[in-house]
Amino acid sequence: MSLFQVGRLAVKIAGRDAGRKCVIVELIDQNFAVIDGDVRRKKVNLRHLEPLTQTVDLKDKASHDEVKKAFEKLELPVWEKKSKTPAPRVKKTKKVKAKPATEKKVKKETKKEEKTVEKKEVPKTEEKPVEKPVEEKAAEKKE
Amino acid sequence: MPRGMHKSRTLRQVFVKTPGGKTVKHFRRRKPSKTICGSCKKELKGVPKDIPSKVRAIPKSARRPERPYGGVFCSACTRKLLQQKAREGEK
Repeated sequence: MSLFQVGRLAVKIAGRDAGRKCVIVELIDQNFAVIDGDVRRKKVNLRHLEPLTQTVDLKDKASHDEVKKAFEKLELPVWEKKSKTPAPRVKKTKKVKAKPATEKKVKKETKKEEKTVEKKEVPKTEEKPVEKPVEEKAAEKKE
Repeated sequence: MPRGMHKSRTLRQVFVKTPGGKTVKHFRRRKPSKTICGSCKKELKGVPKDIPSKVRAIPKSARRPERPYGGVFCSACTRKLLQQKAREGEK
């Protein structure tokens, strides 16, 4: 009887996931098995696995969640699939920079407004007589 | 007369044909030697061989195989090493 059974822990020797621990989930034939755990869940050649003595109680064709539970009991890391949709970009740094700038601007604006108000108040008295004739002219035109 | 620096073979010579039909000698930097496996000294695959500044412009994932010891040991030696480690961890 071969070492490769469902629930057998193994180390991946070849490929991107080399050096990570995995568990056999399904045996396809003499040469291939489906693995899961700290690796991407996929079909692999048994030549790419180095079996360990440890085994886990797993059903045949166990789901990723079941494997995850078993691995968490053994305190082993589990590979999580990344979502294909990229996370929305948050422009934190820019916002932080923008906030004080707006505050400064507001302060400046308030100051300006105050100044302008002061300025306006003075000329308003002067402008009023200037505006009146404009209105009168408009009234004349309408007539 | 060639410049003194061009008389030695530190720079490799490349013959380039100009649009005018002349053949001109260009001097270019030599490429570094091939990367070899740290244990078996075989030539490594998947590692670009070019002037360092040009290699640096390539994305990191294209500069070496994406596995432990990628770009240091060949695949066969990595396999043996990981196999040994797994077996030692069992003891």
